[in-house]
Amino acid sequence: MPYHLFKCSQCIPEREKHAVIKGVGEDISMALPLGYLNTIPGTISERGCAYCGAKHVIGTPMKDVIHLSHGPVGCTYDTWQTKRYISDNNNFQLKYTFASDMKEKHIVFGAEQLLKKNILDAFAAFPDIKRMTIYQTCASALIGDDINALADEIMEENPDVDIFVCNSPGFGGPSQSGGHHKINIAWINQKVGTVNPSIDADYVINYVGEYNIQGDQEVMMDYFKRMGIYVLATFTGNGSYDDLRAMHKAHLNVLECARSAEYICNELRVRYGIPRMDIDGFGFEPLSASLRKVGLFFGIEERALTIIEEENARWQPELDWYKARLMHKKVCLWPGGSKLWHWANAIHEEMGVDVVSVYTKFGHQGDMEKGISRCEEGALAVDDPNELEGLEAMETLQPDIIFTGKRPGEVAKKIRVPYLNAHAYHNGPWKGFEGWVRFARDMYNGIYSPIHQLSLLDISQDEIPTDKGFVTNRMLSDADLSDEVRNDPNLRPYTGNYDCVSPLRNKVYPEFPRKEKEVSVA
Amino acid sequence: MSNDIQNKVEELVNYIMKKCLWQFHSRTWDRKRQNDNILGMTAQLIYGGDVKPATPEEKCYWADAVCLADAFRNRFGWLADMDRADKEALMTGLKERIDFLTVTGSLNLELTDVHY
Ligand code: SF4
Repeated sequence: MPYHLFKCSQCIPEREKHAVIKGVGEDISMALPLGYLNTIPGTISERGCAYCGAKHVIGTPMKDVIHLSHGPVGCTYDTWQTKRYISDNNNFQLKYTFASDMKEKHIVFGAEQLLKKNILDAFAAFPDIKRMTIYQTCASALIGDDINALADEIMEENPDVDIFVCNSPGFGGPSQSGGHHKINIAWINQKVGTVNPSIDADYVINYVGEYNIQGDQEVMMDYFKRMGIYVLATFTGNGSYDDLRAMHKAHLNVLECARSAEYICNELRVRYGIPRMDIDGFGFEPLSASLRKVGLFFGIEERALTIIEEENARWQPELDWYKARLMHKKVCLWPGGSKLWHWANAIHEEMGVDVVSVYTKFGHQGDMEKGISRCEEGALAVDDPNELEGLEAMETLQPDIIFTGKRPGEVAKKIRVPYLNAHAYHNGPWKGFEGWVRFARDMYNGIYSPIHQLSLLDISQDEIPTDKGFVTNRMLSDADLSDEVRNDPNLRPYTGNYDCVSPLRNKVYPEFPRKEKEVSVA
Repeated sequence: MSNDIQNKVEELVNYIMKKCLWQFHSRTWDRKRQNDNILGMTAQLIYGGDVKPATPEEKCYWADAVCLADAFRNRFGWLADMDRADKEALMTGLKERIDFLTVTGSLNLELTDVHY
């Protein structure tokens, strides 16, 4: 598997070891991109900082918490407002973002008193919220404010509040991944085991590495509830602070995004003996296998099989409608850390697209092992790419669409390549059976958008046809289909509702008989 | 190992690498433990034996093993025609190859980190 040096990076030869092309018959023992290293000076990375990884990926999706950054206001504001980690409590954690607003004078004179005032003001402004997380930033770390001591002082003075402190300043790691690690370890060290609720359920899991992007967690909760499984805590999307303090009481950790949250599962396994089961919530086949595995673990496989059968019957005709129209479209799968391996094989097999490139901004070599294994021969795999490399790859590979974040996505649009937001989604949720069809629909709409077709014409130089009317996406997608496929009565495009998440919040679930020999984990 | 068995091993390897996640835990000792337990149980199931997991940890391995054994049987029809000796050669070859790809031949520099 040859390493690949982009032409634009020839002046940074170290970059060569960060990209490979998967050749015919080659495997990951032959070449593997380097990963999780400091970005090479001179290459303009697309990564986030370790503070952002701790707070904006993992901490802030917790829903019943005041999340406060101790630092300049820009740290917290600049990326949080683009997130779509929704919750079922009216999105408190999305609507409000808090910062101590450090200025130059605080760098000189210290900012602990400023922080204390901010903490008390925030609790006073939201008297119903009694939980807080505080995040160190570069500025507060450099001057050495002792946030933990301050938090202890406030908890002593106000016994009804509980505060978690995360010391993961921006410079505390090569990328946001350093922050994921730090907050995982900080949470288990500081908070797990500090509450002990009595749990009256036979089957108890923590759902870990799931951030409820546009409702993903709620979709998966629906399946677990239909199986009679009690989800004690979700780490962390739509999750409750106090539930997460009780993670030690689960029977099983079901792990979705291993990149951001395997650490806490590993520690829970070592410290409390709770097994870790890695699952895939994306794709009909991987999701079916995942639900079955969880069912097998608890001895309730039949319940999982019933759901799998129902959901496949409902949604397969719709997925296949899109598959027929997405066949052999070329995609670049360029997410942050884990979706390259969650999606690479599932979109190829279930939606028919060809993954011509995978990249990861902050993944480790383990993510590349998974991602490269799961994509087909010929794919270009890149670690920590820069903008010029992305442009060069798009020019060479000519993808029909790319899945990436907002910043590289907007760059792609400028060269007329449509993109879907791999981090926050377009019209998610994309997890679950219905969600997977919504992903296919977004992909279809992106590739066959009539507006996108118009954008391919440059009015400053191209001849603009005046004899053609406006076309629809269906006219574009079906032009080359056989009549048999075009008119297949068994296939249909998405028929779900605009909002498929809110109705789940009021859904009533069946009661299952309790296990004969009742095992209480209380 | 005959060429035929070797080719069949590669088909199984390809399935695991495309569909499974358990083989990619983050440290050498973790990966060895996963491979030993899950592939060990899968082999027993493929040979027609019964696996009785007792602890939660064993149940977790077993759940992956049951799904893997079923997938092998469903996808690779030739498995049903193999005798026990060939099945043993196949599963031994599979274990060796997965151990190589994920542990002994892995280029992942983080595998030997002493911490998680
Ligand atoms: S790198 Fe430092 S200053 Fe920049 S956003 Fe991150 S914590 Fe704030």
